[in-house]
Amino acid sequence: MFGLDYSWLADPAYQQWLLTGVVNTLKLAVLSSSAAILIGMLGALGLTLRIFWLDALIELFVEVFRNTPPLLQMLFAYFTLSTLGLRVTDPSTGLSVPLLSAFACAAISLSLFGGALAIEAFRSGIETMPRSIIDAARSLGYGRWARFWRIEAPIATRICLPGLTNILTNLFKTTSQASVITVPELMYYAGQIYNDTFRTLEVMILVLLIYVVLVSILTFAMARLEAFMAFPGYGRVH
Amino acid sequence: MTGFKRMMGVSALALAAFLVGSAALAGTLENVKARGKLVVGVKNDYAPYGYLNDKGDVVGFEVSLAKYVAKELLGSEDKIELVPVVASNRIEFLTAGRIDAIFATLGVTAERTKVIDFTTEYVSAAGPSVLMAKEATISKWEELKGKSICGIQGSYYNKKMTEEFGINLVAFKTQPEAYRALKDNRCIGFVFDDMTLQQKLKEPDWASYKIAVAPYELLPMAGGLRKGDTEFHEAVDKAIGKAEAEGKLIAWETEFGMPHSDYIAARAKAAVAKKN
Repeated sequence: MFGLDYSWLADPAYQQWLLTGVVNTLKLAVLSSSAAILIGMLGALGLTLRIFWLDALIELFVEVFRNTPPLLQMLFAYFTLSTLGLRVTDPSTGLSVPLLSAFACAAISLSLFGGALAIEAFRSGIETMPRSIIDAARSLGYGRWARFWRIEAPIATRICLPGLTNILTNLFKTTSQASVITVPELMYYAGQIYNDTFRTLEVMILVLLIYVVLVSILTFAMARLEAFMAFPGYGRVH
Repeated sequence: MTGFKRMMGVSALALAAFLVGSAALAGTLENVKARGKLVVGVKNDYAPYGYLNDKGDVVGFEVSLAKYVAKELLGSEDKIELVPVVASNRIEFLTAGRIDAIFATLGVTAERTKVIDFTTEYVSAAGPSVLMAKEATISKWEELKGKSICGIQGSYYNKKMTEEFGINLVAFKTQPEAYRALKDNRCIGFVFDDMTLQQKLKEPDWASYKIAVAPYELLPMAGGLRKGDTEFHEAVDKAIGKAEAEGKLIAWETEFGMPHSDYIAARAKAAVAKKN
């Protein structure tokens, strides 16, 4: 079709590379997304406590990790942290080696980057909630914690879901940058395959389709979650 | 669905442009003569083949050869445009028509033969070797099985490293990162082009390192041309053959500080014999 040549796909080595690449991409995406959601929830919860130093700390975290490129964060974690002394002695060789593996560096920096964005998403959910609901809860006798867990958190979660979907899809695509620090994910192997076969266009089209499929599964799941959690008559655009 | 359709549309468009582009490129020799200039892809970071001298000019063994070819085709060695290329883009540059020929440390491999034509071979270069700390006891490729070795993404031998030698390859985008990672002990060695690693060993920073594993192959190097362009191919080969017969390749070896290779001497002799 169109003169495209996909005969290289028959090579077991390339099949294995693509499979390993997809598995590593998924591992990285699932791990960093889960951690980002957790960081987002904890951060937003921290902000509702209205403790001065905790607010300042969370704001600083958000500013640092939201305003710097994830690629730079990965390179920093990979090259700079070990230079600054984050090293251990490898018992098998006796050499001093960096504490964090390439995968750990990528997973941690993506989690922090996604987490910083997620804090803002959850915060916006809490802040855009109508005051009247909180006043109503208060008038019904809900205490501070009961109000947070039973009223604020459930409504805020629903409000921030579309924003969270954006963050997670972005995070998923950003995993491709981990190839720079040698994490063997999909882009890492794609580059090797087209350098071997010179079928750049064919490899790019295939990898593009794989990303479209994987991210579509994520957005579909998030859309279902939104539909499942929707209150009748509240927060749905139809 | 619309997003998917649009994406397919863009892909088809890119493909069409690609096909039209390659169709319009038949007959490079006429194009070069009409243009009055030969456009050649060369390295500019790879002594002695192609590099920047103190004045910032691109010089080197392959640059001299490219200029000689330009002189043979167009009458003057100044009728040339040197385009800096790197390993991962040079074949794309050629097939997309951005350059007429590659003279950029291009090793002759079976995979590449499927995509481009090679000129007559003019150098026989060592393939990859492994740079390791002086204390290393490893000296054979087979001993690297399961070991973490740094490399460069897209190197032609990477598949062999992982498939045949069972190396755990840690491949970076560019060289500086790989050298840094080797010093950080993220890998126990760096597999790369032997000529480059030999040059690196001359730097004081690398005095405590050695070439632990020697190259397993000698790879002939040749110029790269678009496939099936017979007329241009013959003209370039003729020019290279003339340079060999005149002893130019040996002269360039001397000029750019390369050890004299038996390979080039033998080729020069054969070229002279053929001429007489």
